[in-house]
Amino acid sequence: MNLIVTNAGSYPRIGDTPELQILRQTLARFDRQEATEADIRRAEDEMVRRAIAEQIEAGLDLVTDGQIRWYDPISHIAGRLKGTKINGLLRYFDTNFYFRQPILVDRLARERPILVEEYRYACSVSARPVKPVLTGPYTLAVFSLVECAEYRDLERRVEAYAVALAEEIADLAAAGAELIQVDEPAIVLDDADWDLFAAGVRALARAKGTARLALYISFGDVSPFYERLQALPVDVLGLDFTYSPQLVERIAIEGSAKALGLGLIDGRNTKLEPEAEVAAALERMLPAIRSEVVYVNPSTGLELLPRDRAFRKLQHLVRIATRFKR
Amino acid sequence: MSREKLRRLGLDLPLLPTTSVGSFPKPDELQQARTRWARGLLSRDELERLERRATEFWIRTQEELGIDVLVDGEQYRGDMVTYFAENMRGFEIGGLVRSYGNRYYRKPIIVSEVRWERPITVSWWRFAQSLTTRPVKGMLTGPYTVMDWCFNEYYPDRRATCLALAREIRKEVEALIEAGARIIQIDEPALSVRPQELPLAREALQIVTDGLPAYFISHACYGAFEKIYPHMLALPVDNFDLEMSNSNLDLLEHFKRVPFTKDLSFGVVDVHSHVIEDVETVVARIRQGLEVVPAEALWIDPDCGLKTRTVEEAIAKLRVIVEAVSRVRAALA
Repeated sequence: MNLIVTNAGSYPRIGDTPELQILRQTLARFDRQEATEADIRRAEDEMVRRAIAEQIEAGLDLVTDGQIRWYDPISHIAGRLKGTKINGLLRYFDTNFYFRQPILVDRLARERPILVEEYRYACSVSARPVKPVLTGPYTLAVFSLVECAEYRDLERRVEAYAVALAEEIADLAAAGAELIQVDEPAIVLDDADWDLFAAGVRALARAKGTARLALYISFGDVSPFYERLQALPVDVLGLDFTYSPQLVERIAIEGSAKALGLGLIDGRNTKLEPEAEVAAALERMLPAIRSEVVYVNPSTGLELLPRDRAFRKLQHLVRIATRFKR
Repeated sequence: MSREKLRRLGLDLPLLPTTSVGSFPKPDELQQARTRWARGLLSRDELERLERRATEFWIRTQEELGIDVLVDGEQYRGDMVTYFAENMRGFEIGGLVRSYGNRYYRKPIIVSEVRWERPITVSWWRFAQSLTTRPVKGMLTGPYTVMDWCFNEYYPDRRATCLALAREIRKEVEALIEAGARIIQIDEPALSVRPQELPLAREALQIVTDGLPAYFISHACYGAFEKIYPHMLALPVDNFDLEMSNSNLDLLEHFKRVPFTKDLSFGVVDVHSHVIEDVETVVARIRQGLEVVPAEALWIDPDCGLKTRTVEEAIAKLRVIVEAVSRVRAALA
């Protein structure tokens, strides 16, 4: 079995030294009309380069661009589609992070690629493969307000976002992405919507071409629908173990036909988990996973940690995973 | 019933007492001084002199406006959790973490047993109270919110962290009472985030307040109260201070279905908006509040701390509140 150590999404865009604060400063200067959009772009490029360099230095096999350019996981995608406008702030799950809520005001349409340029840039500055990450149609739909009769039903909203994101998946695959991660955390809030959620996932899967699709779910317990997740047409299931005390045993017993992304390391707390505990969980599960590759990653993106702690988390993860490689 | 408690504590407040949630904006002079201090260009003593001057300004301003129950305005605080973390044992102040957009804060890390070693807010409370004959509230952040807003590397779980904090924060409450504070506000803005943990928040607040002779207020904001109402009424406080106006008073509908059984500090102006509400709008909101909570149990204040407004906006919003309350009082008399 091939074990791949990766990041689950975001990476801090700031640090304690002045050279790690250029993006914050440039955005503040932009607000005072002392910097241009090109200046912001250059600062973002610089912080993407640093995020990738740190992931590689920590020893990851597969990196992300750290979602450095994302205002938040919702508006970065929804706000770039035609037919939306952006509203006020709302708490993101049970974190202390806030996102801008989109409002659907007109027919949704993707006029141009959303993430392809960002993905290309990340590849150009990375010595390791890059995994693009996007937020899925169900999560975007659940967090959108509606001012347009057409989208009053959640089902119509999920469909409309799925059409737009399927185009994005096809373009990312054409740009060379071998593994594309789709985050759908909102399904942990109410799995009564399972059929709508699953329809959105299937629409994306139809567009993936030769790329592999990873569905990542965090911020809640996935145990109630673990079996149903296995039936979805995706290649990898990313699971947040921090909310699911029974999940390790369950996977050890029921196994997994799909590749898993094991989020055993808490991406939201600075504490480094005891190595022996994490290793014991891997020992229990790895023999039961019937795929050629298994991914290990933090339970969530790392932006909810200070930069030095995020880096230490990744080093810790690599240290543990290395014992299981080959 | 709470009126009786207030009287027993020696507090004779008018009908519809006016108050504030806690923070006021820092004057430019203090804002700049904080930046200079952070860069090592200003002494701690000089910064504190300016913090005292700003506190005095806000006490005078509240008195002149005719507010009934005053706050010190929190001119000496950066963040409501970090301030307590910096002044108790067991915390390390971590690196920057983003809260939204281009805004960052330093999230504390609990690295060893949390310990209250000496009074934290008492000297500020004493100073503020020495400037006025009106009651000044003691102001603390509650154990559930401190737990939720810190990283934890020491305690086995959230529950152990929260209860340990509760035992230590109680000591600050005791110190405030010993100094003479009779109204103490314990802010729990994180309360509604994980509804399943409400019993834990309740247990922790019980530890903080149990048997202590003070009138307790708890402020909570950031919405989602439909998830914890009416269960939140079991919390051991006398008064809930709630953000009402930025959600079109939606909460009142819940109070119509299940009666609100505590005193209510009713937020009647939106703190996130530059727009100064008309007196008529605020009068109408107070009247709506009176439909579900008896006048004896109703307090009037802004939705939340006013620190994000300018000094002028904050004063204008408070002035509208006082004016609206005096009209409603006249009509009730």
